[in-house]
Amino acid sequence: MAEYQPPLREYQFIYHELFDPARTQALPGCEEFDGDLVNAVLEEAGKLYTEVLLPLNRSGDEEGCHFEDGEVRTPAGFKQAYQQYVEAGWTGFACDPEYGGQGLPNAVTLLVQEMLCACNLSFGMYPGLSHGAYDAIEAHGDDELKALYLPKLVDGSWSGTMCLTEPQSGTDLGLVRTKAVPQEGGSYKLTGTKIFISAGEHDLTENIVHLVLARLPDAPAGIKGISLFVVPKFLPDANGEAGEGNGVSCGAIEHKMGIKASSTCVMNFDDATGWLIGQPNKGMRAMFTFMNTARLGVGVQGIGIGDAAYQGAVAYARDRLQGRALKGPKSPDKPADSLLVHPDVRRMLLTQRAYVEGIRALGSWIAREIDVYERSTDKAEAQAAEDLAALLIPVFKAFGTDVGFDCANLGVQVFGGHGYIREHGMEQYVRDARITQLYEGTNGIQALDLVGRKMSAHFGRYMRRFFQPVAAYIEERQDNEQLAEFIQPLAKAFGRLQRASAWIAQNGMGNPDEAAAASSDYLRLFGLTALAYLWTRMAEVSLDKLDGEERRFYQAKLDTARFFMQRLLPQNSGLFSAILAGSKSMMAFEDEAF
Amino acid sequence: MIADGYTGRKGKGGFYRINREGGGKVKESINLKTGEYSVSLKPSLESVDAAKLGLRAMLQHSDEGGQYAWRVLSKVLSYAASLVPEIHDQIHAVDEAMRLGYAWKYGPFELIDRIGGAWFAERLRTEGMAVPPLLEAAGDEPFYRTENGLLQYRTTEGEYLDLPRPEGVLLLADIKRRSKPLAKNSSACLWDIGDGVVCLEFTSKMNTMDPMIMGMIRKAVELIPAMGFKAMVIYNEGTNFSAGANLGLLVYAANLAMWEESKQLVKEGQDTYMALKYAPFPVVGAPSGLALGGGCEILLHCDALQAHAETYVGLVEVGVGVIPGWGGCKELLTRWTVNKRRPGGPMPPVIKSFETISVATVAKSAAEAGDYMFLREGDGITMNRDRLLADAKAKVLSMVDGYAPPEPVEVKLPGPTARVAMEMGVDSFVKLGKVTPHDQVVANGLIEVLSGGDTDMTESLSEQALLDLELDQFMRLARHPDTLARMEHILETGKPLRN
Repeated sequence: MAEYQPPLREYQFIYHELFDPARTQALPGCEEFDGDLVNAVLEEAGKLYTEVLLPLNRSGDEEGCHFEDGEVRTPAGFKQAYQQYVEAGWTGFACDPEYGGQGLPNAVTLLVQEMLCACNLSFGMYPGLSHGAYDAIEAHGDDELKALYLPKLVDGSWSGTMCLTEPQSGTDLGLVRTKAVPQEGGSYKLTGTKIFISAGEHDLTENIVHLVLARLPDAPAGIKGISLFVVPKFLPDANGEAGEGNGVSCGAIEHKMGIKASSTCVMNFDDATGWLIGQPNKGMRAMFTFMNTARLGVGVQGIGIGDAAYQGAVAYARDRLQGRALKGPKSPDKPADSLLVHPDVRRMLLTQRAYVEGIRALGSWIAREIDVYERSTDKAEAQAAEDLAALLIPVFKAFGTDVGFDCANLGVQVFGGHGYIREHGMEQYVRDARITQLYEGTNGIQALDLVGRKMSAHFGRYMRRFFQPVAAYIEERQDNEQLAEFIQPLAKAFGRLQRASAWIAQNGMGNPDEAAAASSDYLRLFGLTALAYLWTRMAEVSLDKLDGEERRFYQAKLDTARFFMQRLLPQNSGLFSAILAGSKSMMAFEDEAF
Repeated sequence: MIADGYTGRKGKGGFYRINREGGGKVKESINLKTGEYSVSLKPSLESVDAAKLGLRAMLQHSDEGGQYAWRVLSKVLSYAASLVPEIHDQIHAVDEAMRLGYAWKYGPFELIDRIGGAWFAERLRTEGMAVPPLLEAAGDEPFYRTENGLLQYRTTEGEYLDLPRPEGVLLLADIKRRSKPLAKNSSACLWDIGDGVVCLEFTSKMNTMDPMIMGMIRKAVELIPAMGFKAMVIYNEGTNFSAGANLGLLVYAANLAMWEESKQLVKEGQDTYMALKYAPFPVVGAPSGLALGGGCEILLHCDALQAHAETYVGLVEVGVGVIPGWGGCKELLTRWTVNKRRPGGPMPPVIKSFETISVATVAKSAAEAGDYMFLREGDGITMNRDRLLADAKAKVLSMVDGYAPPEPVEVKLPGPTARVAMEMGVDSFVKLGKVTPHDQVVANGLIEVLSGGDTDMTESLSEQALLDLELDQFMRLARHPDTLARMEHILETGKPLRN
């Protein structure tokens, strides 16, 4: 059941206690975001999202989007909800004040996004894509494009899309065929078909700004010949308002497993007028600069759904009376005990909880590093932060959405047969979560990014930003008896991660199949180890506060940390063995035998 | 261009110029058609990539590079082929002349063999170019072949004769053609070069020292007496004897915070070189080209050297932010200490070693290497590269009778008093701006080792004590982010970073 409450106390713990809020506040442009303001922002967002967006989650899923005569209508209530969302200023919360935004640091917006995803993932797609378009134009557009498009994207009157995929060109964007022909006056005419375009067509905004990957007539073949263009649905008139129609049309919408209230469109560009963003043939480079935040955003979807599923499962397990505790009745006055008495139910709930809180900490860590590299004036500090974010983002995206999906699935399981019934809302989380493992680079691609690009970059410099501080953290606490139950398993997992990294570096050099074959297991090993580190830190913070008023809150943190260390982290040794077994068992298998 | 003032860096620019607008340094080149400068682009030719599959693949490629290569090589090689027997009776003399006189890696006939003589002749024919009679006559037969482990060349009469080697020339390449290694791993080999002598050859990339080489050295120390061999030379026929330790490995281990493993890597090198030094048989190092860092330290642990005249030896570790950790500091210190002609007192060995290591001195020739104690009295120098192995072998054989491993050396070092004085010296250089902040950090680590750590002149330090000091300081520096920045920079750009 949609039992979601914004986990504001959790957010405060992460924001103010686990990490140092002063480091974020000291960054240029963040001075005014003190603790009170941050708490107020989170509270306001949580209120609006749960009041307005959460009730539309299931109805939107049931109704889906409508496609009639080339136009897409979003489910009932979405348009009004979008108006409320816009009026409250949430379309510009993460944007530069220069264009009308509020300039919130990523450390805050990540948590706001999480609530949005937890309440209504489909709805979140629309402003989410607008923000992707905003980022691309802001980073690579010229001043004219920025002045024309950014304020509209920030105030939410226009929305955005990212048009990358074509029928023959998915993961391999070098195969893109959409062509762009230069015109007098500096514009281009684009022709081609794009598929899987989220928010490609809808009725929420006055105009839709498509960012389109296409090929110039003289472009080199492959990935080095791709350029990025902005192509609006309606051409801006002299006043910068949506004017006459452009050669952009929606050919169909997809019928999907989940996120049904998000329109996923086939977009046809037929001599559509567009303008180049950034340098010719450097479209991929432009894409990569905001790929980081986009992938961070998808990882957050994993947390949001995971938390919603957890909260629903907890509420159900508490109320549902079924069976008796194995060691004797817990509620003899009632016809049966609640589901909470059953060890396996507790296993599932704690698994959800330990993953959700752990992944949330990982995402927040990365968001803080992104804030540093986007804003810090200290070059070395910014470089280190960028390295760390680059390293951890594929881990966060893939591991976060994998465990997010697992949590959604466990949510169904806790409900038993009722979980399979639509009106309880739990199965929707499974269907909605499934896409997060696929888009913005499938999780397999994230794993390849990690072992192929991030591990080897600058002879392992990105790796240093994670491994050296974690090693130092462990070293400093080796003799800390209170923390021993956390530090010891962390140290073991960390040692395995080190050895697995060295093994992949060594064996992958001569045979890239070895690195690729190890990649998904390695990414999961990395994710588990990162969470073990963060859970140890969360336990360390909580240990100091067990005597206070919020004893129960901190005790629960400590106990969840214990559960993680004892029941989830041990997967690392299996993953380690699998990695070291090498690629042979899969690569030697004969193709014909499949 | 000259008339318009485009005379190079001091004028308005030349064919190239450095554009410093906007604070950066951008290398630009002149467009020969328009005269405008634009950012220098690194050409990327598919034919160059294709060349990884062999020279013929490059010549067959249709892009500009492939066409250019064909036009040059087709003419040069057929010209060379037309000169035999006019300028010399046999092909090997022409090849040798081009190798020695023009520094070609392969002579023209060797190149034709690599391309494929029949293919080459056919293409010349197709393009209407004359096919030299010698090439025509060879048909499908190569100019060189290996028969029963011996290299043979094709005579102008079409028969194959053994390639003559003058007396005093011994080539490892010949030995490798006719025998199997005694032991082999991915980075090193042991060869039986006759008369009871084993040759240790490095085969790693740029002959960098890595754990596999260390393993092979330890194997040699066991295997040589066990199999009845008498002596060893360390020699290879690469362009360089050894470019030093495998830095990539070290950087990667440091980036993964694998401190224990990194330490083990250093310790293992120390132990291995010590085992080499005190092995029960004589060892002669025979370097040629670069012998730097760890490649220099292995030479310092040999009984004697026979160096090619063009050998560049040096302890260059400070350039990448560390100090010699495989006994380089220890060897220079002890060598200066026992040197009879040095000035008296405790300081000269410390100062001499410091001067050499702290500025990464590289001797510009084998002769000069003696000035820095890299070569000692009694070490030999060979002028002709092809005779180096034979000379080294003769030298090591002359040491076999009555051989005893060297006596362990102990040194007395001044300790903290010297350290403080030397640190002040470095500090004054920092104030003058002649030494960067990280240079100072590294220099202080070096001083700590060379002054003997926490010691004084009444105390004798063993070699092991000095090695322990090296290890401590090496590991301290390897953890420093500025050291890692230096290593990363040199690995990526090939140039040192002055941070």
